[in-house]
Amino acid sequence: MSNAATGAIDHHFDPTTSTGIPNKKLLMWMFLASDCMFFGCLISTHLIYRLHPPPGTPSAKSVFSIELTSFSTFILLMSSLMMALAVNSIQKGNLKTLRSSLLTTILFGSIFLGCQVFEFNNFVFEKHLTITNSILGTTFFTLTGTHGCHVAVGVFWLTLMYVRSFQPKDTTADRSWFVRNLVHIVACLGTILLGMMLVLKLVRSLQGAPSFGAGVGLWLKDYWIALIGIAVTGTLMRILARPSGAVAFDEHNAIDVEMMGLYWHFVDIVWIVIFTAVYLLEYI
Amino acid sequence: MSEPTPVLTSPGHAAEESKFQLFVQVAMILAVITGIEIITVYLPFSYAVLFTVLVAFSAVKFLLVIFIFMHLRWDRPLCTIIFFIGLVLGGGTMWALLTLFGADASKPLTAMAEVARTVLAG
Repeated sequence: MSNAATGAIDHHFDPTTSTGIPNKKLLMWMFLASDCMFFGCLISTHLIYRLHPPPGTPSAKSVFSIELTSFSTFILLMSSLMMALAVNSIQKGNLKTLRSSLLTTILFGSIFLGCQVFEFNNFVFEKHLTITNSILGTTFFTLTGTHGCHVAVGVFWLTLMYVRSFQPKDTTADRSWFVRNLVHIVACLGTILLGMMLVLKLVRSLQGAPSFGAGVGLWLKDYWIALIGIAVTGTLMRILARPSGAVAFDEHNAIDVEMMGLYWHFVDIVWIVIFTAVYLLEYI
Repeated sequence: MSEPTPVLTSPGHAAEESKFQLFVQVAMILAVITGIEIITVYLPFSYAVLFTVLVAFSAVKFLLVIFIFMHLRWDRPLCTIIFFIGLVLGGGTMWALLTLFGADASKPLTAMAEVARTVLAG
């Protein structure tokens, strides 16, 4: 049955371009191809210095935590699944599933970033590995930090796309939509950042406290303002996630979500390589 | 005029349903491979065997993500060609650099001094 007959959009073919591929998608694939070379150079640099570590270089095995890295790898893989489901749902025009999938992807991306912040803190303050005091630190922080920046950009992009899905169809009748969406973005980002900070501080409090109750008590005492802040931003998010009328976001926007999905999956495949080349190979 | 309501039993709907199941299955396979990778590093085999196994697992995960999650399997071949041009150039650069710097002649002077000290002391 032809697409014209079913009324469906063929998301893999665009008759208006000479290549048959939507221009946005073609651009994204070209960008990802160039990013392959970029990360290839960063990974090579790390591996070359691991071949000939200068005297005094700390052992990577004594610094790394395989448990934490495995957990963050699993989280990033699951975020890729949620992203694939988000693309699948918008291609079917299912806006509700798209939004919940995007929010879950944002959550998983934030957990990955939180793990990376925790890991970097641990390396710098407890293992005394900084970006300047050894070649291992320089190449490791440059590589994983660049990847982390890519994840952070991805989380920001996902947030923008999530808020974009609430844009009203008739923007002339609803003139406040721009300010409302701006507040929505700020509320989402505030919730993400405060959430990350609160979880990381809770872990730190629990690590330093003699008992679980004492750790939580200390955490509540120190960060009650941040808890009120996250309650405010979370409530704002819930209120602003109730569109009053029809929205200008349907399966015709699937190409935008798919492009973002390609970027997110690329971040995942780069981590697949980093996980093996940088972490696992140190353990054999 | 209202949009045509999708029929639940249409071939397109069945295809989308199977795609959903495929994505979940692929994610489960990726998670299992990651688990096996972590166990592999503790197995008492030679470096060459473990290295080969880990690289193979990594390649399988990589290919599953690009062909299934990134839709290369269903997309036009040009997308695959473009991505693989970047991948081959990046991978080729990695291989060339690692071969060059892995050679004995490329050992840094600090490492050579260490070797000389060890030889003299011995």
